[in-house]
Amino acid sequence: MVDTAQRQRRAPAARPAGHRRARVSVLVRRYRLAPYLLLLPSVAAIGLVLLWPVVQVALYSFQNYGLPQTTGAAPAQWIGLGNFRATFADPEFWLSLRITVLFALAAVTITLVTGTLVGLLLNALGRVMSVFVSTAALLAWATPPVSASVLFYWLFNPDGGLVDWALARMPHWLVGSTDWAGFNWTTTGALPAYTVATLLVVWQSFPFIAVTVLAGLKTVPAELHEAARVDGAGAWQGFWKVTYPLLKPIFLVLLLLSVIWDFNVFTQTYLLTGNLGNRDEYNLSLYLYDKAFTFPPSYGLSGALALILTIILLVVTVGYVRASVRQGALS
Amino acid sequence: MKFTRSAAAIGAVVALAGAAAGCGSGSSGGAAPAAAVPAKLTVWRMGSSVPSQVTWMNGVVARFHSQFPQYKKTKVVVDWIPWGNRVTDWTNALTSGKGGPDITELGNTDTPGIASQGALANITSNVHSWSNGSGIIAGNLANDTVSGNVYAVPWFGGVRGIWYRKDQFAKAGISSPPTTWAQLITDAKALMKAYPGTYGLGAPSNYTNGIVSFIWGAGGQVAVQQGGKWVAQLTSPQSEAGIKFYADLYRTQKVSPSKYIGQTELGAPGATSGGSNEDFALGKLDMYLDGPWAQSELTAVSKKYAADWASFPIPSENGPNPAPAFSGGSDLGVWVKSKYTQADWDLVSTMDSPAQATTFANAQGFFPEFTAQLSGGAYAGNPVMAGFAKAAAYTQISPLNSKNWATADATDAIIPTMMKALMQGANFSATVSKANTQLQNVLNTGSPSS
Repeated sequence: MVDTAQRQRRAPAARPAGHRRARVSVLVRRYRLAPYLLLLPSVAAIGLVLLWPVVQVALYSFQNYGLPQTTGAAPAQWIGLGNFRATFADPEFWLSLRITVLFALAAVTITLVTGTLVGLLLNALGRVMSVFVSTAALLAWATPPVSASVLFYWLFNPDGGLVDWALARMPHWLVGSTDWAGFNWTTTGALPAYTVATLLVVWQSFPFIAVTVLAGLKTVPAELHEAARVDGAGAWQGFWKVTYPLLKPIFLVLLLLSVIWDFNVFTQTYLLTGNLGNRDEYNLSLYLYDKAFTFPPSYGLSGALALILTIILLVVTVGYVRASVRQGALS
Repeated sequence: MKFTRSAAAIGAVVALAGAAAGCGSGSSGGAAPAAAVPAKLTVWRMGSSVPSQVTWMNGVVARFHSQFPQYKKTKVVVDWIPWGNRVTDWTNALTSGKGGPDITELGNTDTPGIASQGALANITSNVHSWSNGSGIIAGNLANDTVSGNVYAVPWFGGVRGIWYRKDQFAKAGISSPPTTWAQLITDAKALMKAYPGTYGLGAPSNYTNGIVSFIWGAGGQVAVQQGGKWVAQLTSPQSEAGIKFYADLYRTQKVSPSKYIGQTELGAPGATSGGSNEDFALGKLDMYLDGPWAQSELTAVSKKYAADWASFPIPSENGPNPAPAFSGGSDLGVWVKSKYTQADWDLVSTMDSPAQATTFANAQGFFPEFTAQLSGGAYAGNPVMAGFAKAAAYTQISPLNSKNWATADATDAIIPTMMKALMQGANFSATVSKANTQLQNVLNTGSPSS
């Protein structure tokens, strides 16, 4: 189609130029180059702003690249796997990895369960209520992470935050004998801080799950559920015997996406745990940022760390791509 | 006062200006240019310009012109350098040799590192022949001395002490401020009894500059130099006593609330509200650990109790003398590449004369650096400043001015992380021992794990 359009426009052009262009056009057609030529601008842009930095980071990870090297005061030296060895020898790396994995586990599970339940609810609701509930949920999803973090920081503030205020007014048999009035959720330790972070991240990410599940539910033929009901299946069995098998590809993709997102949480944890002020509350993103940007910066160490994080997520992504392909084959 | 940022300068200049390190030696000698009359002298001040400081500086320049008539036509220009930019600006001026100052203000934790990189002129003979030189607090001048040579003079300083309220002390039946740790605990508990719902003494975990006073106050050290190497001392019995006392303010004595764990004295790191300073101003905390410069922040929160505010020095374990306080502040140095070393020194000595330095410090909530000014009773009538003035006579700075301190404290947060773990109930000796190893590694190599 592209070629035809070009030929029509080319008709009144001068002969030699037109001849040359015709030859190019033949080449493009013979080797089916058109799709690649169309992709070229975006590939160039991605290569420049994404692929080249990735290569650069990978190169740094094998060098002792820091402040003197950026200014040229000292040459960068190749140190082989030194940065990786230093990372694996650092107990703070393992602590932040543990926090990251446990947090991702909790956040992904709760997000998927909540999102699916809300999706089922939306499917069961009437048109008006469904629009109302999904709009309300999507507002949470659309809230910028910084605003949402500040909001949660305020809610859980020990100096007059709503949560502490409410907990302090509840009976002890219900909430325990902790002195809730001044309970500091965000900086006294990783457990309370990541409890808040989990609530925040789940609140922000379940609407996407809910809407995607809803879209999937709309494709399930009503007869299947009717048949299941006739056979005596309740809601629980109906979900596991009918809905889940049909939506399995969607759930797989949502699971993998959630793992990738929750593994990389930075903004919320940075703001909640006191910028970089509490090292025992670092997740991998904070740990990496600390290595790269606090004084003295070590671009080599953070490059190695970025590579490790990339490899972990690459394993997950490979799973995601395979799942997408399989899903495409199914539909 | 930007102590942590000040400290960051040292390492950065070390890292950036390696090439320029050789430039400092023997450059202050040149007799002919040193005696010349400059058309202009550039002074780098840190922070941002405020009217009271402009007025003060105008007064200094007038005095400079009248006291040294030969410089009558010399213009004095003040450039304000934001604290966060000064490392870059010093480094650029040093490496390029252009655009530098003639005189620069330095955070006192900057001076040893900057001087050892050759950025400052050797002013030993000027200081020794200066009539006011002998009046400077000896320890603070020692901080500006590298290998026997003086590279800067102390200008103003500040120390931390303990803020309290006279009305609360009276109601709790406390007749005079505590001078031992046992009295401090007794008084904190008496205050909590007289004022139910308040806490006696705030002990934030991420507060190295306050915690060190308790280590020193038990006779311990953070780290000492032995044979050119740093040896961390956190595990000595004295240091451990100080660390344990501070952690126990929350753990066993319960005079500090749990919410200060993970906080600095100003609240959560990076936050602009909450924290022990706000609680003290609001009357929720009875005793608050900080310097006199906190007054402007405290009054911004609430002036309700301001008339009753007073201070006393941080007690040592067994008294009667207070615990050494971390001595922060600013110095004045002559830039090594300035062509007018003599004129520079003449202006420095005018800015730092006891009269001028005292006016300046008083206006900012700091102290001048002259022993006579502190002991002369000038602050006895001011309840807030009186206690801090007493504390200022007992100070220490090492190892907080060592080359890698910024990495140990601001970046790796070794003491805050240790204190936080202890307050969370971690095993005492294992936690302190781990911090001790890390600290020794960072001070010697710049990295916690080597």
